Amino acid sequence: MSLPTSRHGYSHSSNGSANGHASYYNREDSWAISPHETRFHPKYRKSAHARRRLIIKLVLIGVAIFGFALIVSPSIRFAIFSAVGLGYTFYKDIPGVEYHDLSLYQGTANGWTRGERILFLSPLRDAEAHLPMFFSHLRNLTYPHHLIDLAFLVGESKDNTMKLLHELLNKQQSDPDHDQWFGEITVIEKDFGSTIGQDFSNRHGFAAQGPRRKLMARARNWLLNATLKPHHSWVYWRDADVETAPTTILEDLMRHNKHVIVPNVWRPLPDWLGNEQPYDLNSWQESETGLELAAKLGEDDVIVEGYAEYATWRPHLAYLRDPRGDPDVEMELDGVGGVSILAKALVFRAGAHFPAFSFEKHAETEGFGKMCRRMQFTVIGLPHYTIWHLYEPSLEDLKHMKEMEEQRIAHEKEELAKAKEKAKEKARLEEGYDIKKDKDTWDKDQKEIIDAALKEKQKEKSDKMGAMPAKSNEEEHDPTGRKIRKENLKGGREGPIAHVDEAGVGVITTEEDEKKGHIIGHENGRVQDSKAKSGKTKERDMKASEPKGKGVKAKENKNPVQPGKNKEAVFAKN
Amino acid sequence: MGAPRRSSPMRLLFALCGLLLFLWWMIQPSSSPRTLNINLPDASQPTPTAALVPPKKAPKIVNISMNNLTATANPLKNQEKLLILTPIARFYDQYWQNLLNLNYPRNLIELGFITPKTHGGNQATVQLQEALRKVQNGAKKNRFAKVTILRQDFSMPVGQSEKERHAMKAQKDRRASMARARNSLVFTTLNPSISWVLWLDSDIIETPPTLFQDLAKHNKPLIVPNCFQKYKDAGTWKERPYDFNSWQDSETALNLGKKMKDDEILLEGYAEMPTYRALMAYQRDEKGDKHVEMQLDGVGGTALLVKAEIHRDGAMFPTFPFYHLIETEGFAKMAKRLGYQPYGLPNYLVYHYNE
Repeated sequence: MSLPTSRHGYSHSSNGSANGHASYYNREDSWAISPHETRFHPKYRKSAHARRRLIIKLVLIGVAIFGFALIVSPSIRFAIFSAVGLGYTFYKDIPGVEYHDLSLYQGTANGWTRGERILFLSPLRDAEAHLPMFFSHLRNLTYPHHLIDLAFLVGESKDNTMKLLHELLNKQQSDPDHDQWFGEITVIEKDFGSTIGQDFSNRHGFAAQGPRRKLMARARNWLLNATLKPHHSWVYWRDADVETAPTTILEDLMRHNKHVIVPNVWRPLPDWLGNEQPYDLNSWQESETGLELAAKLGEDDVIVEGYAEYATWRPHLAYLRDPRGDPDVEMELDGVGGVSILAKALVFRAGAHFPAFSFEKHAETEGFGKMCRRMQFTVIGLPHYTIWHLYEPSLEDLKHMKEMEEQRIAHEKEELAKAKEKAKEKARLEEGYDIKKDKDTWDKDQKEIIDAALKEKQKEKSDKMGAMPAKSNEEEHDPTGRKIRKENLKGGREGPIAHVDEAGVGVITTEEDEKKGHIIGHENGRVQDSKAKSGKTKERDMKASEPKGKGVKAKENKNPVQPGKNKEAVFAKN
Repeated sequence: MGAPRRSSPMRLLFALCGLLLFLWWMIQPSSSPRTLNINLPDASQPTPTAALVPPKKAPKIVNISMNNLTATANPLKNQEKLLILTPIARFYDQYWQNLLNLNYPRNLIELGFITPKTHGGNQATVQLQEALRKVQNGAKKNRFAKVTILRQDFSMPVGQSEKERHAMKAQKDRRASMARARNSLVFTTLNPSISWVLWLDSDIIETPPTLFQDLAKHNKPLIVPNCFQKYKDAGTWKERPYDFNSWQDSETALNLGKKMKDDEILLEGYAEMPTYRALMAYQRDEKGDKHVEMQLDGVGGTALLVKAEIHRDGAMFPTFPFYHLIETEGFAKMAKRLGYQPYGLPNYLVYHYNE
């Protein structure tokens, strides 16, 4: 026989006879050394000899009876065979017949040393994005892969889940490293005709919870019932969207030797949401408030944990986590979450399942926890043993993130514009400090102004000789609505500035101020009034390159905001 | 006390007794659990299928679509597979003969048995082995597609007779353990190709050969025929109702249930707890149409046809009081909670063994 017989069987036969002999000889030896009994020695020896023969005879008879019983009664034979785990040999030669003694598949604390098979179950739906990550987790599992049977249920996926799944499975099973091969692999396709979307906020909206959980429960049950075989000792449920989990998770959970056991499930978050957060709120202990609430609800209502609508005040496994706590600490639970459940197969064989109806006001995994408790199984959670669920932003988060992104882009743009402005400013300043150029410009301007003044003078002289033209009261509107006197319009728009020889030449006023007789600046050190500065500067800057016609005005105002520079230029000229 | 030679035969006797005790222990089932508490055995045998070394060839990837699986009124036309499940504590030749007489093609039938860990269970296993050896080694077309035999991983509670005073409590334990056996059987043998599950107790010795087709014709999620028993009275064969677990609920029963504690069960057929439920067993009309249907709230498990999807959705035989119901009655309730209505055929008979 290739299989070792049971320790049970061994221990009884070997221990029994060993003890018997030991006690037998010890007794006789103590008898023999007693000085008062020496006269019995010969007889003793003789009788011991005879007795030994008798014992042998009796043992032989016993064995004969035993053997006879084995031959005559197949049921005794079967009883003995099955007691040592060999009952299956009875059906070995019958085609199409399988025999399983379920006692052998109860699950023990160190199942990997006994070759206990795990059924690894994953319901998938629109999981294409998570599959590569999921398979990398599978590859890293330290539990002997050939003892893990994989089974997937693929629901109505709109994406490429099915194709990718097969691709990855084929790759896995053709790995050159044989230790990477998994046991039996089953992919089940079944559509349940759901209408509820699978994205985060759809999934987790309060109203969708009841029907959604019931549907998920059905999917889980179908997957389980289709793939659970008598020879499975353990069943492990795992979601595809787990981001980080210990590679030894199967052994770690198994070691506790509980009927149902779940780790703590958290998820990482972006900085602006606080880095991390408890994810799975379906693992909890029942509370008085919870029971009271349950009593008030209708038969088909389902309490869902983690929603303000149902405040149950239950102690949640997730909130009890201490990052530095002992990962072996256990906590009794009444409801469990489905992200990662290790359960003994006997739990499911006994009939526990994921209720697709309201069982004690709960459905799916929470209902499963409740049902297990009802069936007197141990349901345990590990508060300090944590696995990390993938962070999927909700619609709100996405909106927020979009806003943040927009803000960021706007900010960047602003920064860029600022930098450009600065660079421009700098360039302009540098340009402005080009003294030679300024001087040339100034010289040219001066010459023009002087020419113009001279011309004016000549004209004046000739006018004095003739009649005065009636122009003093004519007024015109410039585009900004400012009234400008046509009279004396010789310089820039701001006012007459080129009347070099006249009284008040070089004195700058605005129109109003002029009426009042105020002087607000001087030709070479003028501070422009704000309107002119903001409204016109740019326009004029652009026009500055136009060389002809109004060249005087334009050039005059080329650098209007730098009075200091002009002064300097003047000084330089002088 | 005296000389060793005088005491020696005594010791030999002890030794012999020891040996016999050992043998007796080997044969006897473990006798611990009287309640349903599951004591985990320190199972120390390696599991027979355990290959502690990886296989030489990677197992194939099996892809199964369950979208096209049907369970219709005409199962033969659609080649729908039937799984016949039997918890078997005693093997009756009549049961086996009756099973072989069913005229649905055997290549579409899978069988599943579960035996208790008792002497009776061992005997049944051995007899089953003999019976199966004949059939499965016979002509190919007479072979069943697949047969699975399971041995329970828990012990049945002690017999009811020992506990006359707590008959109801014993009944609850017995049925809870029966329910667990049924669940263990169905949830490990229900493979994805099965369309129908027929529960047939090992003491059902006579049914029409078209039992499955007749029940399937009604196309109900859950349907149960009426279970009677034939007995000899003054030299003539007579019939009497046997299974009282198929019933329609009554106000009285519902009110009784409301007053009960969560872990108490309502049982049928106890004088101290009259429920006034409408029992299907008493609804039989000998001259009536065999295919008259009636809606039920509780069903018996002696013969029971279920569409596989009901089990797949999770409907099981509660091992705990579920709405104060247990085992097959609880199963009907759970199916109803899942949205499936059980039906009964009061005039369609199957016969139970008579001790």
